[in-house]
Amino acid sequence: MSDDLTARLETYLANILSVPDLEVAGLARIPGGASRETYRFRARHMRDGRQIDRGLILRRDPPASLIETERTTEFRAYRAFHALGLPVPEPIALELSTDILDRPFFIMEEIENCQVGSILSPDPYGAHREKIGQQFFASLGRIARADVDAIGLGDLEGERDPAKCWRHELDRWQKVIEEDEREPQPIAHAALRWLRRNPPPPAPKISVVHGDYRTGNFLYDEKGDMRAILDWEMAHLGNPLEDLGWALDPLWSHGDPSRPAGTIARAHAIAIWEKESGLKLDTAALAWWEIFASLKGLAIWISAAREYADARNADPVNAFSGWYCLAFHNKVLADRLGAA
Amino acid sequence: MKPEIDQILTFSAMKIMGEFAPAMATQYGQGMAQVVAGLMMMAAQEYDRAADIRVAENRDMRALFRELAPGLSDAGLRGELEAAAATHDTSLRISALNDSNQALRRLLIRLHAQMDDGGADTSRIWVVLKAMATRRTLALPG
Repeated sequence: MSDDLTARLETYLANILSVPDLEVAGLARIPGGASRETYRFRARHMRDGRQIDRGLILRRDPPASLIETERTTEFRAYRAFHALGLPVPEPIALELSTDILDRPFFIMEEIENCQVGSILSPDPYGAHREKIGQQFFASLGRIARADVDAIGLGDLEGERDPAKCWRHELDRWQKVIEEDEREPQPIAHAALRWLRRNPPPPAPKISVVHGDYRTGNFLYDEKGDMRAILDWEMAHLGNPLEDLGWALDPLWSHGDPSRPAGTIARAHAIAIWEKESGLKLDTAALAWWEIFASLKGLAIWISAAREYADARNADPVNAFSGWYCLAFHNKVLADRLGAA
Repeated sequence: MKPEIDQILTFSAMKIMGEFAPAMATQYGQGMAQVVAGLMMMAAQEYDRAADIRVAENRDMRALFRELAPGLSDAGLRGELEAAAATHDTSLRISALNDSNQALRRLLIRLHAQMDDGGADTSRIWVVLKAMATRRTLALPG
């Protein structure tokens, strides 16, 4: 990693943390999705005669990203849910100026000695499958339960009318499809029409929707403890069933949709979510949000394909998303809607 | 050609995954190399089937247009569907097949939307869409 980036980061952190002797070491880029550049580094300084050595994560805007996301939203969500006691890294600093590191960025605590479950793995959690599944759906329930105003996120982007939030989200993703569709997508258009013809009931409440709550976006340790929920960049206000539908989507099920997220049985997962959220699930509403989840997936993969094909972001993750994931969700939607 | 392209891609991907990626200095480099190798494995799958998929999709869409066009009240769309149904793929180059495939898909979207709007039975369209989606599904590199 360039010494220049290290030096600039060091100057910035020393200044905002008021620690003149702060030293940045081991700055290295790590895999972290295609929507932000993610780096790991150590921040070291002396305090009361002993060395403080802390692992931190830098998330910097890339020149072009998989989807246009709002780093301020992500930072605020980390702050709110870390304070609420969910397994979320502590956010340290948000910088919107391009003067410091050329692009906006934020810094947060590194959760060390953990791993991410790969969607490519047939059984990412092994013996910890049950324990991780319980925590995964319990945490999602707690996100749904949180009072958006009490945690300071009542002004997030989104729709606060429970009867209208489905339309708000559908409009949003239809726009992405129409703007980024490089080749005609008949299944996506058919799904959009189906979702509009068959609107869901009003939301049971307005919650913070994580927006990308799934395998690959949380860290767990060797004991099977879920340690960090990551990637809050698509957080918004809306129907909590949006997150549940996304978490249950077959793409994240490691080949067995009866065990969502590659963890526990679907009915068990939903029961845990109901208990922690305090909400009674409307199965007809969830059916709509599961179709929506696969359509939203298509929109994201269409956007990824566009970024890659137009050579705006040649991250190979964009090629994988725009090819494998697009084909996967086309099949899911064709099977579900073709049988309707 | 011997070796075939899919074999070259597969063996090269295995080389990247087994030897080159682990030798890379950074976790980011290793991760990216693994994804690139996975893409090469997917490209190996696609090599043998790409033309066949497109020919089959184009054939199915033309047959669908021939079947459904007579029932449309929109004379303009009916005429476009009949004209498209009478076309043929004259080249097996992927770029040429993609061009005709995309033109046919645009018509399919309009046909499906019109039938949805009119409350017509679209089950025949879904048979074609399901076949299209099934053919394009990829096995995960494993």
